[in-house]
Amino acid sequence: METQQDVVETPASGTAPSAPEGKAPATNSAPPTAERAPESAAPAVPAPDTTPPPAPAAKPAATAKPAAAAAKPAKPPAPPDPRVVAATATAEEIRASIAAHLGADAVEDASATKEIPILRIAREKWRQTVEFLKDRPEHAYNYVELFAGTDYKDYIEVVVYLYSTEHGSYIHVKTRTPREDASLPSLTPVFAGVNWEEREVYDLLGIHFEGHPDLRRIMMWEEWNGHPLRKDYSDFENVPSREGGQY
Amino acid sequence: MASLWGWHTSALTGISFLGMIIGAVIVLLLILGIVSYLIYFERKVIGWMQGRIGPNRVGPFGLLQSVADILKLLIKEDVIPTNADRALFLLAPVIAFVPSFMVLAVIPFTATHYFTAGLNVGVLYYIALSSITILGIVMGGWASNNKYSLLGGMRSAAQMISYEIPLGLSLLGVIMLSGSLNLNQIVAAQNYGHVWFIIPQIIGFVVFVISGIAELNRTPFDLPEAESELVAGYFTEYSGFRFAFFMLAEYVYVFAISALATTMFLGGWSGPFLPSWLWFAIKVSACIFFLFWVRATMPRIRGDQLMGFAWKVLIPVALFNILLTGAVYEIHL
Amino acid sequence: MGALRQEEMILNVGPQHPSTHGVFRLVVTIDGEQIVEADSVVGYLHRGTEKLAEDLQYTQIIPYTDRLDYLASMINNYALVHTVEYAMDLEVPARAEYLRLIVMELNRIGSHLMFIGAYLLDLGAMSPFLYAFQEREMIVQMFNEICGARLTYNYMRVGGVKWDAPPGWLDKVRDFVPHMRERFKMLSDLVSGNEIFLNRVKGIGVITQEEALNYSLSGINLRSTGFNFDLRKNRPYNLYDQFDFDIPVGSNGDCFDRYYLHLREMEQSVRIVEQAVASIPDGPVLGKVPKLIRVPAGEYYTSIEGARGELGVYIVSDGKDKPYRMKLRRPSFVNLQILRKLLIGQSMSNLIAILGAVDIVLGEVDA
Repeated sequence: METQQDVVETPASGTAPSAPEGKAPATNSAPPTAERAPESAAPAVPAPDTTPPPAPAAKPAATAKPAAAAAKPAKPPAPPDPRVVAATATAEEIRASIAAHLGADAVEDASATKEIPILRIAREKWRQTVEFLKDRPEHAYNYVELFAGTDYKDYIEVVVYLYSTEHGSYIHVKTRTPREDASLPSLTPVFAGVNWEEREVYDLLGIHFEGHPDLRRIMMWEEWNGHPLRKDYSDFENVPSREGGQY
Repeated sequence: MASLWGWHTSALTGISFLGMIIGAVIVLLLILGIVSYLIYFERKVIGWMQGRIGPNRVGPFGLLQSVADILKLLIKEDVIPTNADRALFLLAPVIAFVPSFMVLAVIPFTATHYFTAGLNVGVLYYIALSSITILGIVMGGWASNNKYSLLGGMRSAAQMISYEIPLGLSLLGVIMLSGSLNLNQIVAAQNYGHVWFIIPQIIGFVVFVISGIAELNRTPFDLPEAESELVAGYFTEYSGFRFAFFMLAEYVYVFAISALATTMFLGGWSGPFLPSWLWFAIKVSACIFFLFWVRATMPRIRGDQLMGFAWKVLIPVALFNILLTGAVYEIHL
Repeated sequence: MGALRQEEMILNVGPQHPSTHGVFRLVVTIDGEQIVEADSVVGYLHRGTEKLAEDLQYTQIIPYTDRLDYLASMINNYALVHTVEYAMDLEVPARAEYLRLIVMELNRIGSHLMFIGAYLLDLGAMSPFLYAFQEREMIVQMFNEICGARLTYNYMRVGGVKWDAPPGWLDKVRDFVPHMRERFKMLSDLVSGNEIFLNRVKGIGVITQEEALNYSLSGINLRSTGFNFDLRKNRPYNLYDQFDFDIPVGSNGDCFDRYYLHLREMEQSVRIVEQAVASIPDGPVLGKVPKLIRVPAGEYYTSIEGARGELGVYIVSDGKDKPYRMKLRRPSFVNLQILRKLLIGQSMSNLIAILGAVDIVLGEVDA
């Protein structure tokens, strides 16, 4: 539902992509920033007031998704960054590979930031897809570099940077979960090393990871009220509970 | 005078009993002074080995540092943990400390045995009494009601009991050569034979040094009080003067084991030109210096390796040494 | 006589414990001296750096990174400014890059010296700690001269560094190189061949290559298993591709390899410093950077080889002067996860040897 809203909203802002760009090049090195117009386009309108979701990163790419990836670099006025084009192509390849094995709905979106391909995975197929990327010899993404969650006000996104030690390539997969009853399949069975990372995301963003062996708060104590990295978290409203003599 | 200091040779009278008391008090005070400067010496030596200065603030060259430390410990609050076994907790430092002084009774400090009990079972007496300290340590570890203390106490018991055996066995060779358990006569035997027992008993000496260090709970065998593992081991919960008692016991044993080594292997007080007490002091200082040197050099051994080393290496070597000594003695003489 | 009652004992190692190197708590269940379960409790030093960063401008975040891995603050500084520069495609003046490289490698040496000292102290050897500190003190003094701080440097800026090297500073670094080379031999001779030490660390806490990858280990923990992965070579940043150095790799994945790799890595760092000092150009130390740094909207992740492993910064920007979300990939935090696996079945003495070799800094674990 939320993603649907983004799709509606982003093209509107995407029509005026030059606004943030005009600012950035004025102050620093001009040419390289221009290519990222599709990504930076979103906040052009909401930038002054913070109420609408900032919708960064992959969202404009989501608009490009129904059409074709090839159409995406055509939008900005400046010539596309060759890194982005190459990375998007890679992302599309991997997407095709995933689609062939796990169904076309597994990957919701394929895009790129700089030289890194980005794949947005459907929430239900999150674990299967990551497992697939790890186990298939042609991908062999066997090393988790980053595991991060971000609250985008409409939804929470979890990002994993995967590295293939065999091929030396590196990909960025993400998935989304609604903010209420946020939950995702845990990646712990696939990568033991995300255990604490998932606990941290659970602690600070409130995503419940299904199938996690030991889902407890890790940074805050158990009685802590709320999840600090959520954007609506407030120090004043989320006073830690004093029960149990912990505080 | 002869009657005052003559308890070795004459019958016990009131005056010689008085002499015994006075001698014991003098030794006690002397040892307290020695121990406080032993600590200073250790800190200076280790500081020097580590490129530091060591204590240099309290008094000239930091000479009063130990005095200040002891004073601090004495005026500190005496903390007894609520859940501790009170009676045992209070008793443990005493039990650990008293034997450490008592063993000094048999050490011949000088050629004239003013302060020395000429016990005919001197070596046995030393080993037997020093074992009592283990009781104090285990009691302290148990009574503190602290898990680190308990672990430290258990380690200590296991370690000290294991190393008693090679320690005792390593001394047997000396006893065989001298034909006496009396420490005075062992020194006399070394004088008579014009050779220190370290030379015929070099294997025994090595075993003795290793197991002696283990008995002292010093690096590399300081597992019972391994700071990085067990916080402070068996005396984690002790503070103030009770802690001072444990420390005192430890350093008195450093002195005592060095004195024992000197007596058994290095010819005791004997030596040319210099007075006998000075020879004794020099030899003991060398032994103590060696202990400190080892401490600044070695990492800590691991528990299971420690046990394995005692039972698989030291005891067989010590037994072999006895066999060898007996064989050579039989053939040679 | 009935059977003796036996029970397992729960032992809290930490948060106040001499060998946890900070406020780290390890709840171990022990049977005698054997560990049957180990649960790490972290978060005592959690300051919410990631949350704080959301309300700070990029330059203002730099001092916060100092407090993560406080033994290698220069490298942390660089991780942040590198990501911002990468996102903005900023050009950094050559001299600034050289200075950054020199201070980062010096800091790596300092951090590794600290590891070696502290690790051996954990194992009961007192002296190496103080020997290691002599050289670390020299490095810290050099940092003091270049940025005015001994621990939290706050030296780098987006687009360069804050201060140029003071006169004579580079000569000091140049003199430091041969001095450090001599000391390596001594540091190695001190303990590396000691029988007791070898018995305590060889074959202890063995990590296999598969485990290391599965647990996302990085840095020396990963390289000790024989896996050659160093971001300075694999994904060169800064000027690392212009210098000649090797990546020492272990073979057994045990504590000894981890200890030894620290020594070997310092030698390589000295090599890099030597080359960098010889070829450092003149010029400005801060590039043309806007007063208010705005990162173009998007998400960016770069990682560098920190002293303890892969140190990454992930920034989600909405085009403002503050990050929308900043996530720090802290190597200590990730590396620490394998501790439970390594500990179970070991004795209490090995606990210290293993925990020490994993090489964590609690400021980084808790962020």
